[in-house]
Amino acid sequence: MTEEIITSGRNIPFIDPVLHIWHWQIPLYLFVGGLAAALVFFSAYFYIRGRGDELKTSVQIAPILAPVVIVLGLIALLLDLRHPAYFWQLYTTIRFDSPMSWGAWTLGIIMPLSVIWPLTYMKEIKEYYKDSHKLALWLIDLVDTVISMAFIKPIIDWFIKNRYALAWVNIILAVILGVYTGILLSAFNARPLWNTSILGPLFLVSGLSTGAATIMWMSRSVKERLIFSRIDLLLIAVEVFFIIHLFMGFLASGSVQIEAAELFLGGEFTAIFWIGVVLIGLLIPAMLETMELFGYHIPISIPALLILIGGILFRFIMVDAGQLTRYLY
Amino acid sequence: MKNLKHRHTDPNKYMNPYVAGVLLGFVIIAAFFFSGEGLGGSGAFKDIVKTTVVTVAPDYAADTHYFKSATELAHSPLKTWLVFEVLGILLGGIISGAFAGRLKLKVEHAPNITSKKRIVYAVLGGALFGIGSQLGRGCTSGAGLSGMAVMSVSGFVAVAAIFGSGYLFAWFFRKLWI
Repeated sequence: MTEEIITSGRNIPFIDPVLHIWHWQIPLYLFVGGLAAALVFFSAYFYIRGRGDELKTSVQIAPILAPVVIVLGLIALLLDLRHPAYFWQLYTTIRFDSPMSWGAWTLGIIMPLSVIWPLTYMKEIKEYYKDSHKLALWLIDLVDTVISMAFIKPIIDWFIKNRYALAWVNIILAVILGVYTGILLSAFNARPLWNTSILGPLFLVSGLSTGAATIMWMSRSVKERLIFSRIDLLLIAVEVFFIIHLFMGFLASGSVQIEAAELFLGGEFTAIFWIGVVLIGLLIPAMLETMELFGYHIPISIPALLILIGGILFRFIMVDAGQLTRYLY
Repeated sequence: MKNLKHRHTDPNKYMNPYVAGVLLGFVIIAAFFFSGEGLGGSGAFKDIVKTTVVTVAPDYAADTHYFKSATELAHSPLKTWLVFEVLGILLGGIISGAFAGRLKLKVEHAPNITSKKRIVYAVLGGALFGIGSQLGRGCTSGAGLSGMAVMSVSGFVAVAAIFGSGYLFAWFFRKLWI
């Protein structure tokens, strides 16, 4: 038997020729991260603009979801780590050139703040959900009892007094979190599909759009729904522009970028991307929302659900397709 | 948006069935023109089933005559004209329902039965129709409409059989509707 030893840098399992290390955890996290960023952003933005009583759902009610989805995202991130028990080491350093460091710190700060924001609105939340399911009422009462404890109450009261400052901190962190979900991918300079500066803004806008969809789905006021319907339409328009811009940029670039773009322009992701994300996730909901603005009666859950499906699909496709693209030949 | 008024369209107003039938004929012509294939409904669901089986139990699929062809494709079994056509039907239905003011999440049923009963019978009927369409090699649209459009005898036989047996069995299940 003759033995042959081949030494090559080209066959690295899971990394080369195609990356195969990110599964469902990362795109799921990117989705819930964007959604949470949007919920926190809208609540803080409309509070600062002084429209808290008018846009009740976005400022007071919908932010309850933010900590829940952030926790989901953090669980997904932990599951992705090879050594979950060492996650805390991310908090032993601050590195401005590392997107992971940015993300870890932003999440670390926004997590408690996103819990505190709805706690400052406990009275309103109780009032809003007074007719709902027994379990929900029990949960609200439980939280209310906890925050009424002697040593917690002054802290919550302090935050209620300083809600305006809290809103400013939240809005800045929310933008960082929203952009970061895109930067996490675009900082990978070895993967041409991800390595584009448009990805950060694109993920931010897409995340804001899913957040606006969630708020309009939860809202009970026609006026608030219409406002968020219009915000969402604007965001969809920007998103479509960014997507076109993304492909224009790739096609005007080198051959590796052109090859990356071709995955979506005739390659294996063509149908799922243009039909699943662009048509079903953006254009159809945009059309339904436009019809609603013109006075047609549209059940808001349909466009909202389509946008959320489009948002999650978009992230799964970007993560999957990005791992296939590469520089080396 | 201040003078926004919600439109009041009569939700029960459907298109004249004869006009709709002629339009459906044009849809078949368009389908043949653009895709080179006719219309179909059950085929898309068959492809979904095939994809599911191939993904979940690839070994079983490779051993089974019915699923074998799906395992030998270079692309996903979902990549067929019918899957996209059915997706389009769904989206078109949402849009036309929205224009007609009929886009609502509800279960339509006869006054004498409950929604639950309606759903159970609809699922049962749908399953039977799915099995029947596979035995008959096509459903109302695939075998019937598209078959008749190309003057195939099987198309006429399929339509006669589907609607003929429909008339017969309707008598037994009339209580579900009146």
